[in-house]
Amino acid sequence: MKKWASLALTCMLAMSFLAGCSGTKEPAKEEAASGGDKPVEAAADEVTKFSISLRTLNFGYVEKSPDINADKWVKRLEEMTKTDMDIRLVPHKEYEQKMVQMFATNDIPDVVQGQGGTTGKEMAGSVEAGVFMPLDDLLKEYGPHLLEKIPKEAWNRMSYKGKIYGIPEWLGNPSRRATWIRKDLLDQTGLPVPKTVDEYLNVLRAFKKLGVENPYMGRQDFKYADTFFGSYDVFPYLNQFEESDGQVQPKFMDSDNMMKALSTYKTMFDEGLINKEFATINPTTFKNTILAGKAGMWTMNANELIQWQTQLQDTVKDAKLEIIPSPVGPDGKGGYYLYGDVARSYFINAKYKHPEKIIQFFDWMVSDEAEQFFTYGVEGENYTKEGDQINYKQPTDSQAVDEERYRQAFLWMVQDTTYNKGSLSLTEEGKSLMSVFDNTLANEGRDGIEFDPRLEAFKKNPDITPLSDTPPPLLITHMVKMVYGQEPIENWPKVIEEWKSKGGSDVLKEANERYQTKEGVFLPRK
Amino acid sequence: MSNQTETAARLPTGIKRKTNKDNNIWRLIWKYKVLYLISIPSILYFIIFKYIPLGGSIIAFQEYNIFKGFGGSEWVGFAHFAEMFRHYDFLRILNNTVLIGLYDLIFAFPAPIILAILLNELRLIVFKRVVQTVVYMPHFLSWVVIAGMSVAILSPTTGVLNQLLGLFGIDPLYFLGDNSYIRTVLVGSGIWRDTGYGTILYLAALAGINPELYEAAQIDGANRWKQTLRITLPALLPTIMILFLLHIGKFLDFGFERVWVFLNALNTENGEILDTYIYRAGLLSQQYSYTTAVGLFKSIVGLVLVMAGNFFSRKTTGESLY
Repeated sequence: MKKWASLALTCMLAMSFLAGCSGTKEPAKEEAASGGDKPVEAAADEVTKFSISLRTLNFGYVEKSPDINADKWVKRLEEMTKTDMDIRLVPHKEYEQKMVQMFATNDIPDVVQGQGGTTGKEMAGSVEAGVFMPLDDLLKEYGPHLLEKIPKEAWNRMSYKGKIYGIPEWLGNPSRRATWIRKDLLDQTGLPVPKTVDEYLNVLRAFKKLGVENPYMGRQDFKYADTFFGSYDVFPYLNQFEESDGQVQPKFMDSDNMMKALSTYKTMFDEGLINKEFATINPTTFKNTILAGKAGMWTMNANELIQWQTQLQDTVKDAKLEIIPSPVGPDGKGGYYLYGDVARSYFINAKYKHPEKIIQFFDWMVSDEAEQFFTYGVEGENYTKEGDQINYKQPTDSQAVDEERYRQAFLWMVQDTTYNKGSLSLTEEGKSLMSVFDNTLANEGRDGIEFDPRLEAFKKNPDITPLSDTPPPLLITHMVKMVYGQEPIENWPKVIEEWKSKGGSDVLKEANERYQTKEGVFLPRK
Repeated sequence: MSNQTETAARLPTGIKRKTNKDNNIWRLIWKYKVLYLISIPSILYFIIFKYIPLGGSIIAFQEYNIFKGFGGSEWVGFAHFAEMFRHYDFLRILNNTVLIGLYDLIFAFPAPIILAILLNELRLIVFKRVVQTVVYMPHFLSWVVIAGMSVAILSPTTGVLNQLLGLFGIDPLYFLGDNSYIRTVLVGSGIWRDTGYGTILYLAALAGINPELYEAAQIDGANRWKQTLRITLPALLPTIMILFLLHIGKFLDFGFERVWVFLNALNTENGEILDTYIYRAGLLSQQYSYTTAVGLFKSIVGLVLVMAGNFFSRKTTGESLY
């Protein structure tokens, strides 16, 4: 009796498994059937199937989605472009490692999304190894709009040995980070908008008098807290080389200015204008402190302005955020390091049979139809039309905002990512943000000589190697200690010697050789 | 000497029996076929996930390129090992690893033993159970959470610990921003997290001690302290030895995550260990061959330590892993 019962149970389980499996397959079949109803023979060869890897970019909507391939916007996009995508998400945080894993296991999708150039770390030498196909001829034939709309600088970044290997999503205005100030607090101090480093320090002192806990918001490793290194033009970052007396060298080797910048931070530290614990303040604490109204001035990406303003006003009603020109140094300039010309890029697997279809897919991305679809969504659902006038309902609750951002910034794969013009022009704050980009940010920013592919000498020792926005670990240690007063700032020339002795000399040698031959060298844009 | 003669004497008979023995093995396997059948998954697990990947260590002797694979990459012999020993920071990092491992052995290893004995002395069962459950709990927190809590507790301005020190007139200390405290913080956070959980095995061993031994000792007039010293500790010794040997084998494996989450620019000098270095150089800078060499070096040191420890333990206490 018992045996029978267990057998029956097993059978039932097996049945339910089968049912479960076929259950997921059924809708797909149905769709295919209904799609094929009208033009029976055409549907079969018109739908382009391809797999594509996309970094999640920390987008809540993407990361929370149970199955991105079943998402309604993906479905709509597929419908409009007659494609069938198999999106493979790459986790934002482990992007580089996962990409390398993908290449190492040879499980490479038909389209791979990269970041920036052809020889970045995430590409792991795949372009050199011939994993992807050159696109020049295909672009001429199938991607005329891409060639027309995407600026030359961005195409240059996608070239390897004279051939184009990827389609870039470009950044028209590479100056992204900005100096933010609590305008309401500044008005309380009665001081004008500061311009020079000294004026900035005075404002910070006034903030302290007002009782602001963090007049300048610090963060570990000076990440998003590097305003004053920009004033003195000494960013110790990857793409910050300069020519000095005929020699190419990293900007931090300019000891005079570097020591001035460090002294500025030291003054701030000694006077309590920056948190005494900034060496252990992580990104979350950074954001929370600011949104709790406990900071007076900080660095953030300008595109976050409207969102942070709203969030801050939840806690501090009268708070008013403003982006002001960054403090200028002795040369009368300032700003943050400039981002690359390319935000995302798309490479096509050399083994893929119909690359022309994919080029057409991306070519559609820069069309007016695409712009309208990604910006406003679908007529009747997200907006209504009165003649030529579009009435777009800007979402208010956070879920809908997430969805909008996903549609405008994630799914729209090829566009100028400076800002979304269509949706910003709808509101007053949006218009003022656009003016910040076009007037304030466009006039500032520090750029340097860049080597791409990166210098071999950097690969050997991670300690002396900077990242795009973090100094080499070796330098961070000294910089932080100097600000904390554990090491005299006058030691900076010695720090440079230490950097040289631990492999920096090789870096200098290679940089100068490369600079002479002009191979993979990008000159400053500003 | 006596050992040698003994094996020499046994040898001939061993050879004679060889064919016989072979048969025996197959017969035994056949006899216990069900047991062997059950063990197949775990044997496969070890072969597939432990032994086969061991072969990947050959990339330590190559200039590994992920597109060329094991077969196509160039052989470089011991170049990566040489580079590792020549590296200016190697001694510092090894020194940190050994010191932190040593502190861990001295302070963190005995902690669960002491706690288990203390728990064992508790008479009120309900209280004992409650305490046990409470001390297990931190083990289930992730290191990221613990690091976050530590930053809050150890903060010089808002931290509880510094406010406590302030009561005694001690100036606030920036525990996480100082080379001289980082090792203490690393080992201390480990003690807080894992001591309670580590008592499980000891408590099990304590439960197995014959209560008659204590009764006899009481009749002989031994007080509680004497009983602990003469009965409890000797009875625990086999468990302690086994766990000690297992610990020795992981001497250089302090763990990546628990260190990584505490490191910052001000404490890296004393806090960086081989694991975090491997992560930085290998995964972040993509020097796979070099870091495999470092990892291989670490494993070999661990293997030597565990074999030596096992040998001495067998000689002195008679307890051993194998």
